[in-house]
Amino acid sequence: MALPLRYNFRNVVVRWRTTLFTVLGVAAVVAVFVLLRALARGIESTSGNTGDPRNILVVRKGSQAESGSLVTRTQFRTLQYFDEIARNERGEAVVSAELVMIVSAPRRGGAGEANTLLRGVTPRGMELRPQVTLVEGRWFQPGHREVVVSRRLSGRFEGFEIGGTLKAGPDHLKVVGIFDGQGSAFDSEAWMDADEARSIFDREQYSSVLLRPRDSAAAQAIILRLEQDKRLGLRGESETLYYSKQTMTAAPFRILGGILGVAMSVGAVFAAMNTMYASVAARTREVGTLRVLGFSQSSVVMSFMMEGTLVALMGGIVGCGLALALSVYVQARGVYFGTMDFQSFAETLFQFRVTPDLVGLGLLFSIGIGLVGSLLPALRASRLPVIAALKSV
Amino acid sequence: MSEARPESQSAVPSEGRSVGGWFLYALGFYNPISWIGWLARVWVRQFGLGPFSFVILNAVRNQRRATLTVLSVASSCALLVTLLTLQRELTVPPESEGASLRIIARNKVSLAQPLPAKQLSIVERIPGVVAVSPFTFFGGNYKGEEMTSFAQFAVDPARFRGLLVEGRISDGSYDDFIRDRNSCFVGADTMKRYHLKIGDRMKFTGTFYPVDLDLRIAAVFQGTVDDRGVFFHHKLLDELTGDPGTVGTWYLRVASAEVSNDVIARVNKAFENSSAEVRAETERAFQMGFISMLGNVKVLTLSISAVVVFTLMLVTVSTMSMAIRERFRELAILKALGYRRRELFSFILAESFGLAALGAVVGIGGAWAVWTFVDLQRLTNGFLVYFEVTVRTMAWGAAVAATLGILAAIGPSVAVARMSVVEGLRTLD
Repeated sequence: MALPLRYNFRNVVVRWRTTLFTVLGVAAVVAVFVLLRALARGIESTSGNTGDPRNILVVRKGSQAESGSLVTRTQFRTLQYFDEIARNERGEAVVSAELVMIVSAPRRGGAGEANTLLRGVTPRGMELRPQVTLVEGRWFQPGHREVVVSRRLSGRFEGFEIGGTLKAGPDHLKVVGIFDGQGSAFDSEAWMDADEARSIFDREQYSSVLLRPRDSAAAQAIILRLEQDKRLGLRGESETLYYSKQTMTAAPFRILGGILGVAMSVGAVFAAMNTMYASVAARTREVGTLRVLGFSQSSVVMSFMMEGTLVALMGGIVGCGLALALSVYVQARGVYFGTMDFQSFAETLFQFRVTPDLVGLGLLFSIGIGLVGSLLPALRASRLPVIAALKSV
Repeated sequence: MSEARPESQSAVPSEGRSVGGWFLYALGFYNPISWIGWLARVWVRQFGLGPFSFVILNAVRNQRRATLTVLSVASSCALLVTLLTLQRELTVPPESEGASLRIIARNKVSLAQPLPAKQLSIVERIPGVVAVSPFTFFGGNYKGEEMTSFAQFAVDPARFRGLLVEGRISDGSYDDFIRDRNSCFVGADTMKRYHLKIGDRMKFTGTFYPVDLDLRIAAVFQGTVDDRGVFFHHKLLDELTGDPGTVGTWYLRVASAEVSNDVIARVNKAFENSSAEVRAETERAFQMGFISMLGNVKVLTLSISAVVVFTLMLVTVSTMSMAIRERFRELAILKALGYRRRELFSFILAESFGLAALGAVVGIGGAWAVWTFVDLQRLTNGFLVYFEVTVRTMAWGAAVAATLGILAAIGPSVAVARMSVVEGLRTLD
């Protein structure tokens, strides 16, 4: 016969002081685990949010990212006349040759400098990325030294507001607008006219080409054609696929989350064991009574393990709650974390993303701590000799 | 009082042990804490019970709890030390005597923007500059690797020699490197890691440059702060890219640390209002700038450390209060016998401090041993190189543990001080 859950619950409430310590300890462990995973998730979601599956991004063969890629004007001229490229209502081919540059800019509040990604785009390139919308000011005018920055960057860098300037060496670019990339990788970019960018940075070549094929069959044809044309030396890939691969930056956070989770949970397990052992020792007579009343060894084990798990689960719930609260607070304040993307060498901005599956993982984690921590104490409780236990004070 | 047998152990049947029982048995037998208890008992038998042995016997009387407390403090301390070391590794570049004598000049726009090669003649004539070489990051991937962790730089070998302040040629000949345009100059760590020897070839696929390298190892260096780099001829890179007009950065050495600020100002001034403005800084400042680009890593590791310390505090405080609550009756008896609050407080403090200190020694010592003797560079594929647990870091860990040991004693002491003897004697729990 199983002991009722209420018995455990009441016990937990009666010993609220030690319970509270254990709950808080487990909560801290779970919160750290969930938050680090949420950071990794934030970076991944930025990549996953970017791009249109219908678009194809063309870069140099062998380069891993746009910033390390070169597309010559000859290559672009060949590419531009591919039949498979779609045309817009004005009859223009929907293809955009772009330049990606790294510009070092001062952080707000005098915290040094960081690299930002400056993209030279064309009108076609903007049509290809409808998720980027202007929220303030106006777009840059072709042929002018003007730049439009993302809202996230605007909060992070000195002079990134309308009327401010972005200094690229001796050249000054006027900030005329602010855009919103709706959580995509473009939220860590500043945009300007492609030809103007080439003249300022003295670049013959482009970095990449973004294009829209007529249909999915045409897309396959272009990718295949680029792969087979050894002379061209270019590589085409669906835009979404390209961005989904740019998640290397998330790896350290994911790994750190895992390692810290395990290391901290070792401490938490010891703490939980301590509490449960104390709880068993204090209830020696009670356990003896239960056994005399006819509860079996296994139901005593079950009961104590339930109790330990209950306490740890409470910690898990508090921990997930803490993680959620912190991420909501950070989001409400509009604070972003920045780290260097080792593929583009520019700073990417991201936020915590506490998803339901992360919460589930955190709760499972706490249950694990509870089970491991209460197993030995529960076994001990079930093995107390009944008569001796009854005699004990 | 010398009969400090843990009441919990008397109830454990000694025969027919289960898995858990065997675990506990092993915990007792191989547990230094039981040895401490044994030693203390021997001491008491010989010399009688003093306050010191009284505290030790009390601390280890519940062997299991003492062990678990020490282990949980130890694991938290080890984690704290590891985090602080990680923070140091990521945010403090290794010191080197030459770093303040060397200056890196990059394009003011950003590191990714090249500089015109023609600037060389101007740079080398700036007073205070002893040596200067082009210094271009190639960023290639070594044969078949996805992400190579050591850097390759294109330099002018003859000029680069003047920049090598520390370190020495441990194998091969530098003249050979100068002579052969297709050769390279490799750090000893990289040689060891890939089991290379002089004359072997190293192949790199360019990720930033659309060219590949095939280099012969001509010489090996050792004794710099980072013995991993690969250096090759800038002329080769110019030839492969067909662009002899650009370099990545200028790497220069100044005559003395005193003049370095003047030289920096002069270099910056020399290219002001030109098409390629320059930003010069000492090697150390350059590395710090690179690290600051990692962003909020520092805040992140510090806040995690804070959470670890918080958890550590919870564990020690709760254990100490448990230990004291169990002994409320005894403490009441001590009080009835005439012991003062101050003495009772010192008993509790000594016990809690002792357990925390033991945990700190085990945890910090363990972390030190692991990070000193494990080859992390190999394990993390070159991401973590030094991971040196410094005395300062260990002192931080110890200070935190000591503070917690003291803090944990306060709560139970207050409870003991407040209790009346009668009430204490009545306590059952």
